[in-house]
Amino acid sequence: MALHPDPTSAAADPHEVADEVNEEALAVVMQTVPLGAGVVAGTAVAILVLGYLLIYLLVFVPRGVVG
Amino acid sequence: MTHVHPEMHERRILGTELLWAFGVGIFIASTLSLVIFTALTVGMNPPSNVERIDPKTLHLSGEFAEQNLGTTVEADGTVTARVIATQFMFVPRCIAVPQGRRVTLRFASPDVIHGLLVTGTNVNTMVVPGYVSQVHTEFQKTGDLLMPCHEYCGLGHSEMWAVVQVIPESEMKPDAEGRVSCAQR
Repeated sequence: MALHPDPTSAAADPHEVADEVNEEALAVVMQTVPLGAGVVAGTAVAILVLGYLLIYLLVFVPRGVVG
Repeated sequence: MTHVHPEMHERRILGTELLWAFGVGIFIASTLSLVIFTALTVGMNPPSNVERIDPKTLHLSGEFAEQNLGTTVEADGTVTARVIATQFMFVPRCIAVPQGRRVTLRFASPDVIHGLLVTGTNVNTMVVPGYVSQVHTEFQKTGDLLMPCHEYCGLGHSEMWAVVQVIPESEMKPDAEGRVSCAQR
């Protein structure tokens, strides 16, 4: 039975090599990206806090004090 | 493509982070303020009764002896229910309480840590051996409420639950000793 040679590494394949980063282009992108991430994360946190407040004020408080 | 100086770029990111931190700080501060406000104005606090009891002898005499368990209407009209939480049952398994009247619930454990809640109410406490857990509440609606053990206490934990039977004030008829039992169905 013939032995197969080790497969060649794909590390140097152009598809696997990260593109060179153009720092200036990155800076331009990063001007707007944090804002978008902030809006998404802010909306998510706001929905969570709103849910907490609604349950606290409409369910928990009306049930009364137990302490 | 606009040219942005790297330093400017860093400052913008820092600004975004500070804005986020400020927003989150507002959320946390407002939530804590609400909790403190309700605690100070309406006394919305967690159950904080600290009262010792000997878990080895609590069933032999005193408040949690068998004849004292269940619901009692005291001479001054206050309603107190005393329950033992033990592996793997509540004694008694049904607690009768009046609707629309302040009720005191007292629990003790002779063995391990248990916990309980009454569905649809804010009643929720741990029952720790050596201490009496006490909560007060007013049941708004009549009906049967489930009271499960919510702290894993052993293999029979899932079978450990009781019923709180909320009955109309008119059906609250204590016997000569002030005891009230659940209606048989």
